[in-house]
Amino acid sequence: MPVEVPKEKWPGSVRTITLGALPAEGGTRKRVVTVGGETAMPFMHFEGEIPYPPVVAIEIKDRKPDDWSPLLLETWRDVIDDPAQWAAAAEEAGADLIVLALSLTNRDGNPTTPEEAVASVKAVLAATGVPLIVFGPGQAEADNALLVAVSEATKGERLALGICEDKNYRTIVATAMANGHLVTARTPMDVNLAKQLNILISDMGLPLDRILMDPTTGALGYGIEYGFSVMERLRLAALQGDKMTQLPMIVTPGFEAWKAKESKVGEGVPKAWGDWLNRAINWETLTAMTLVESGADIVVLRHPESVRRVKAAIDELMAAKAFVS
Amino acid sequence: MSRYIATRAIRGANALVREAELMLKRALAEKGGAQKVAFPNTAYYLPLIYGMTGVAVEKLEDLVPVIEHAKRLLHPVPSEKMWTPYLGETLDSGMATLLAAETIEAIRFVYGLQPERMPGFTLAGGTAYPELDSPNNGRVGHLNGPIDDIQLRSWGIQLVDGRMPGFAAIVGAAKSNEVAVKIVRELQKRNILCFLSGNVNGRSIIHQLIEEGVELGYDTYTVPFGTDTISAIYALGFATRSALTFGGLKAGQAREILLYNRERVFAFVLALGEVDDLKYAAAAGAINFGFPVIADTVIPEILPTGVTKYEHVVSMPFNEIEGADDLERAERLVQKCIEVRGVKVKVAEVPVPVPYGSAFEGEVVRKNDMRVEFGGKHSRCFEYLYMAPNDEVVDGKVEVIGPTFDHIEPQGHMDMGIIVKVAGRQMQEDFEPVLERQIHYFINGASGIQHIGQRDIAWIRISNNAAEKGFKLEHFGKILHARYHSDFGAIVDKVQVTIITEPELLQQWLAKARAAYDYRNRRLADLTDEKVEEFYSCTLCQSFAPNHVCVISPERLGLCGAYNWLDCKASYNINPTGPNQPIKLGKVIDPVKGYWTGTNEYAKIGSHGVVQEVSMYSIMENPMTACGCFECIVMLIPEANGVMVVSREDPSMTPAGMTFSTLAGIAGGGLQTPGVMGVGKYFLLSPKFISADGGFKRVVWMSSILKEMMAEELKKVAEREGDPDLIDKIADERHVTTVDELLVWLEEHQHPVLSMEPMF
Repeated sequence: MPVEVPKEKWPGSVRTITLGALPAEGGTRKRVVTVGGETAMPFMHFEGEIPYPPVVAIEIKDRKPDDWSPLLLETWRDVIDDPAQWAAAAEEAGADLIVLALSLTNRDGNPTTPEEAVASVKAVLAATGVPLIVFGPGQAEADNALLVAVSEATKGERLALGICEDKNYRTIVATAMANGHLVTARTPMDVNLAKQLNILISDMGLPLDRILMDPTTGALGYGIEYGFSVMERLRLAALQGDKMTQLPMIVTPGFEAWKAKESKVGEGVPKAWGDWLNRAINWETLTAMTLVESGADIVVLRHPESVRRVKAAIDELMAAKAFVS
Repeated sequence: MSRYIATRAIRGANALVREAELMLKRALAEKGGAQKVAFPNTAYYLPLIYGMTGVAVEKLEDLVPVIEHAKRLLHPVPSEKMWTPYLGETLDSGMATLLAAETIEAIRFVYGLQPERMPGFTLAGGTAYPELDSPNNGRVGHLNGPIDDIQLRSWGIQLVDGRMPGFAAIVGAAKSNEVAVKIVRELQKRNILCFLSGNVNGRSIIHQLIEEGVELGYDTYTVPFGTDTISAIYALGFATRSALTFGGLKAGQAREILLYNRERVFAFVLALGEVDDLKYAAAAGAINFGFPVIADTVIPEILPTGVTKYEHVVSMPFNEIEGADDLERAERLVQKCIEVRGVKVKVAEVPVPVPYGSAFEGEVVRKNDMRVEFGGKHSRCFEYLYMAPNDEVVDGKVEVIGPTFDHIEPQGHMDMGIIVKVAGRQMQEDFEPVLERQIHYFINGASGIQHIGQRDIAWIRISNNAAEKGFKLEHFGKILHARYHSDFGAIVDKVQVTIITEPELLQQWLAKARAAYDYRNRRLADLTDEKVEEFYSCTLCQSFAPNHVCVISPERLGLCGAYNWLDCKASYNINPTGPNQPIKLGKVIDPVKGYWTGTNEYAKIGSHGVVQEVSMYSIMENPMTACGCFECIVMLIPEANGVMVVSREDPSMTPAGMTFSTLAGIAGGGLQTPGVMGVGKYFLLSPKFISADGGFKRVVWMSSILKEMMAEELKKVAEREGDPDLIDKIADERHVTTVDELLVWLEEHQHPVLSMEPMF
């Protein structure tokens, strides 16, 4: 007896968004990255199209970070104090995108100046061929000062600038509009807040195909199920046709996972937890894969081995497409 | 539209376009069509022409079609006898004027006549003109001319992100030098950019400010364009470029560029001194951008709104402005400009001598720590907020009438009334009570101040600590002014506060306030579901009950008890993208059970397809879902042919065999369970409470705490239901905790459900 597989048919689809610009388009990237376009839930190839696979970004800093795990400092030891070299190493490690997170202070402990931020961004652009996402230090005033300078100095590159939040988005959006960049919009794990911020940003006149949404998440064991549900619901709403949720999602599992005790602490933990490095990479990989399964289009990671594993897993999930007639 | 203005604007436009055409002809003859034409340091060619017509002017000959276009926009001056509509003609003429003005300035650049020379003058930051500014050429003094792209970006971002509220194009000359300075200072104080141009009989506000030693240039946010009216075109070139840069618009999208400016750029024209034909024509051009014109002389007004957001042309003859002296008049004039364009004031900090923040809201001031109290057992304190016409409210004014508390002994008391007068374009009478209730939260935010109650049962204490730090009565007013602007800026433009302690006046105002409270009570009672065309959604709780939607009607408040229909309406006005959205009712499907096409459609969208239909007035059929914040749970008791109502605050066993916390699991989570519903406690009093199922008479059991808390109100409900003893017939946990006991009770008390139809 033939079994009819029930299929869900969705009226809506996720927007297709391209990061980076080739020389012909006014940028300097060797390749661009396109995400989104899904017409089905993640990897449900038999129900709709998953035209672009989720991509992996590697997060780097403009200088040696103060608060990163010693495991990461060790991994990137040779390049960690030079954003250009670090970015090149990240590209080498398989990053589809680079996320450059600017620090609040420079190496001497003084506030990072707009000139320094621009220099870091330009160095990273010169050293790599992949599209770039730039995050400010996370304090409204500094974010605005640094990102406006970066935005103007890189006009036409189609960077993604972040992080736009409910309390501080107008300046970043304004400068992105004026210089042809994208923005990332972060809200704290809430469908309606995410939607509202998207509305506010598009109300300013930035087209929806230049907004990535970051619904925020928690690491494995630290609220990931909540993050998963929110992302899943955002994606369901998008597929049901809600325009304001039809934006590709970017999440930062690297940041989250490397905050967790399981990856941060190597001593004084139960023996059964096993090898520290292996555990930390597992933590980051599992966090990232869970989010990929809930609809993430861009996952931002920190360790090259996690990147390799996540990319391999995505390849397998995408390969299933071939079995759908 | 004033025919007078139309006539003069159209005449002015005809003259200027003619002048531009002649200049262009001469320039073409003298310099040739290939002569380069450009403004300094801009990628937008001649920006206004580029934006409005899409023509990228690079050479003199490119201007020919522009002038042809301007000529087509011209109209004959309205005849003395014929009365025809002329708003369109006037606006067209205004646009023709702008095209002509930019053409003229461009040609002047070709001849080296722009930027305008001003010997001895140095800009405090401005567009760079290397040849003029070079020491080798002896530094030629000059005005700024057009704003360059670098400055456009820097200011543009601030205009877009709201740090800078807008710009003022000031044209002409002020009554005196000191008035000129005052006007500019008042605008600077509010972060509003000043663009200066024009003159009256040869004297320009630029001369006036230079004479008074005011620094002019980018650094001081005051840009001298030129001393003639034509140079005011640079302001509109700036506006056009900000739409192109920040609005993502393309050259030639004239309509979109104008709308962008109307909606987003808070600019206005301030015409100082006599207004001639050319100024009228230029003003008509500005109105195209949605920028209103305010004149300090007697001119006909165009008050109806339309192209601009509010009034188009406002006349405020300087000498007739109320005020002790010219400086005060200047201040009022600026205030008026801001109102007409709807620029919002922001108050960054609450100016009180004690720490302020929501962390202090729950603070209690004990009797021993108290300096003085208002209200409570020994004295009277009341609060009254009302709206008034815009010109009757002086924003930021705080007045204390009567004695202060200095003479009151420690821990003493006195009477006080807090009167708040607000005005706002978006303000509605219905928002008065919503805003008035905020006084509680606002005043409580001050450290060392305790506020309890509302209306005429308000009770405020000031601690010794706060009094020692210098907290005075006027600070109540300062707090309210700052907070209403910061939290309710969307609906409130002006706030004035009067604190009354003078006994006689206090009594007068108390009477007025009571009359208002009474009126509002009646208005609320009068506000029924049938009288409105829209309900409101509330999705505040979707973060934890993702598919739940509250549908809030005048007679059914939110199940949390915190949001009623008026609150939602105000919330929507304050935050149009927020959690409270209007639900247009559409067609009535079933007036008894409470189905409308609009509510059903919304239920589907809001619940993400989980709920298909929602009935407003029935618990048995498609009842409204609940998140988990409900004040009460209403649940069917099938054996009793009625419902029980359990309060959140009642921990005891109910006849359903479950306590509140167990029941909450069934009622919450956004699921539709016929026979179970979470509600706000005041909904029990509504005539619409399960009205489709028989109404309040269906209540057979109710937590005693509800009976006590709402004794008065429930009594009235019983009377309304035609059974004054009804409340006593309803069982509670003190006597009845099982179904069997309940049935016995109902028999004993002859509860009306016994003779009602079966519920299902």
